[in-house]
Amino acid sequence: MDQGVLQELADRFGQAAVLAQPTRDGIPTAWVSSELLAAVLRYLKSSPKGAYPMLWDITAIDERTRVHREGQPPSDFTVVYHLLSLERNQDVRIKVALSGEHPSIGSVTTVYSNADWYEREVWDMFGITFDGHPHPFRILMPPWWEGHPLRKEHPARATEMGPFQMSSEDAARMLSMMEFRPEDWGMKRESQEHEFMFLNFGPQHPSTHGVLRFVTQLDGEEIVDVVPEIGFHHRGAEKMGERQSWHTYIPYTDRIDYLGGVLNNFPYVLAVETLAGITVPDRAKVIRIMMAEIFRIISHLVYFGTFTADLGQMSMVFWMFTDRERAFDIVEAVTGGRMHPAWFRIGGVAQDLPTGWDTMVRDFCAYMHKRLRDYDASVMKNRIVKARMVGIGTVSAREALEWGATGPFLRGSGVSYDIRKNRPYGGYDMFQFDVPTATHGDSYDRLAVHVEEMHQSLRIIEQCLAGMPGGPYKSDHPLATPPRKERTMHDIETLINHFLGVSWGPVIPPGEATFVTEGSKGNHGYYLVSDGGTMSYRTRIRTPSFAHIQMVPMMSRGLTVPDLVTILGSIDYVLADLDR
Amino acid sequence: MHAESAGVRASTYGDLYLARRADLLAWSRKYSIWPFNFGLSCCYVEMATSITSKYDIARFGSEIIRGSPREADLMVVAGTVFVKMAPLVLHMYEQMMEPRWVICMGSCAGSGGMYDIYSVVQGVDTFLPVDVYVQGCPPSPDAFIRGLVLLGEAVASEKRPLSWLVGPQGVVRSAKPSLRDAMRPERQKQTDLRSPDGL
Repeated sequence: MDQGVLQELADRFGQAAVLAQPTRDGIPTAWVSSELLAAVLRYLKSSPKGAYPMLWDITAIDERTRVHREGQPPSDFTVVYHLLSLERNQDVRIKVALSGEHPSIGSVTTVYSNADWYEREVWDMFGITFDGHPHPFRILMPPWWEGHPLRKEHPARATEMGPFQMSSEDAARMLSMMEFRPEDWGMKRESQEHEFMFLNFGPQHPSTHGVLRFVTQLDGEEIVDVVPEIGFHHRGAEKMGERQSWHTYIPYTDRIDYLGGVLNNFPYVLAVETLAGITVPDRAKVIRIMMAEIFRIISHLVYFGTFTADLGQMSMVFWMFTDRERAFDIVEAVTGGRMHPAWFRIGGVAQDLPTGWDTMVRDFCAYMHKRLRDYDASVMKNRIVKARMVGIGTVSAREALEWGATGPFLRGSGVSYDIRKNRPYGGYDMFQFDVPTATHGDSYDRLAVHVEEMHQSLRIIEQCLAGMPGGPYKSDHPLATPPRKERTMHDIETLINHFLGVSWGPVIPPGEATFVTEGSKGNHGYYLVSDGGTMSYRTRIRTPSFAHIQMVPMMSRGLTVPDLVTILGSIDYVLADLDR
Repeated sequence: MHAESAGVRASTYGDLYLARRADLLAWSRKYSIWPFNFGLSCCYVEMATSITSKYDIARFGSEIIRGSPREADLMVVAGTVFVKMAPLVLHMYEQMMEPRWVICMGSCAGSGGMYDIYSVVQGVDTFLPVDVYVQGCPPSPDAFIRGLVLLGEAVASEKRPLSWLVGPQGVVRSAKPSLRDAMRPERQKQTDLRSPDGL
């Protein structure tokens, strides 16, 4: 990948201030000092040679026990800023080395608005303080938690921490700690004329689609402000990566965007393959893409159905779940599973397609086209539905970029950016499809983009059907897992390698790689750090829902509570994708 | 009519059914278990799928999904019980009125499942009484319906006091049989597994 941006930084800030680090994924990576950080980010955000308008991710690495750090400056904790440029179609990674047990660094919320939640997450997970952060509170862990889970000294397993006990008094104490205090958020309890009402929405509410809480500050019916509270669904997926082998982590990825099935396996296996240098045979590529697109339709159908149900149109959810079952028939026939097939493997897929798969897929495509036309008539052209959606939760292209929106959300705001098209991965360059966009960025547009994407997915599936290549479904690379078994009974060397590959799992060479794919809800990215072991040293999962839910306050100010329901329905988020 | 349940018998007089009052109440409870619209994670999606047309839990009298715990009879703990969520789960359970039942759906709710991790409670039965465990990750809608039917059977054979004046006051719940043991002979008969290479 073009490393020109690093030269540009060196020219601007001096050769000594910028230390380049080669990575396996080729994303330009530079170490800068914490004093220079804000200036570097501000420069990149409006760089004359191609701006980086989006802060894609902030995360950290606890480096204290890492062995392979060749060419990197000494650091106890490293904070990593990942920026995205549409103009250059390139990312850049800025790293800052921090020393000490509980280091601090300046907040960059004044440079990128969406740094707010990412910095809170880093504080919560690593205990790194961000000076000047407006709301330096925990975000994922409950307020009574002690310690910072992603630090190496924090236990990973619940069973290492003693049995869970909670009496009624404990529960009452915990609930009182979660009580909302407007003063913490700089909110007033009354204006000059009225007292505000604080309405609690969630964490148990049908319209939040899971365990997620919003506290709304209301002036009559009007929403003055909203404070989302997340973390109720935090399942420790990142820490889990540090104790599962590279191979046995695959089932955990399914459960990130739990409606997206193999769409989650995709970025993970691609990131591991990047680290290991594995190329995948064509048949495996096309099988992967076909299954991924089937899951995109499955996920979009749930979104479509539940969104309209939120607005009171109850029949669609029943129709769409029936369609989803038809797609699951294919998934069951191919993978044996339903929602979480964990079916991709490092170097290919788990199994070849069963005989007769093509008839099933062909029937499904023919059926689905007709159903989508029916939905156009009953939902997209329905004036009551339109009245609830049009003009609600409008997000401009500039705002969408500023807040890190990706996927159908970003395209609904008029930005044509689809990783499958702009940076074809895993074989997407072999396929013809369009990237649908809309113009207004309101709830209706986000839905319209999703609907059109289903048509495009069907188009891709039909191309897979027409041109499924022959050949192996898994790579012959020695790190492909599980290893090939055929020759194990012929020589001892192959037997030993097979035994180790199956019992301990593959040893992935040291290095770092991020892989970003187009999930059903936006960009999924896995940032993997290997220290040359059978497990990842650090697994960072960048998910779209986290970025999108952070935008809810901005989208809903000045509207009413029913509009908030529309906005949430239109976002297409899922709780495990939000809290991981 | 789903009659002929425990204690409710058809008589020889056509459409006339005979039962003791306690049995009739248990029988009607069995066919009107209203679930609480509550879900924690992935399992909830499969629970919701069981409401939709292909599976349809209305066939078992559970189509009325209640948004408030005060109106619900059944809490399906569908999904991972997170440490941050645990006090809220207990709070909502305490808001449900007797008689109330709990189905523990999925491996996470049962034991933590594949999430032996700091933020997950290793089994909801550490703080809630569970009536039926449904296994799976997530259990298919069929498995959930099976759990619901099992619960219905348990509810029909439960003995509850008729009033605070009449009879013994305790609730006599039916025993929880182990399905693993019950189904072992049948499962052992299965010796040929279908190849995954065909449909």
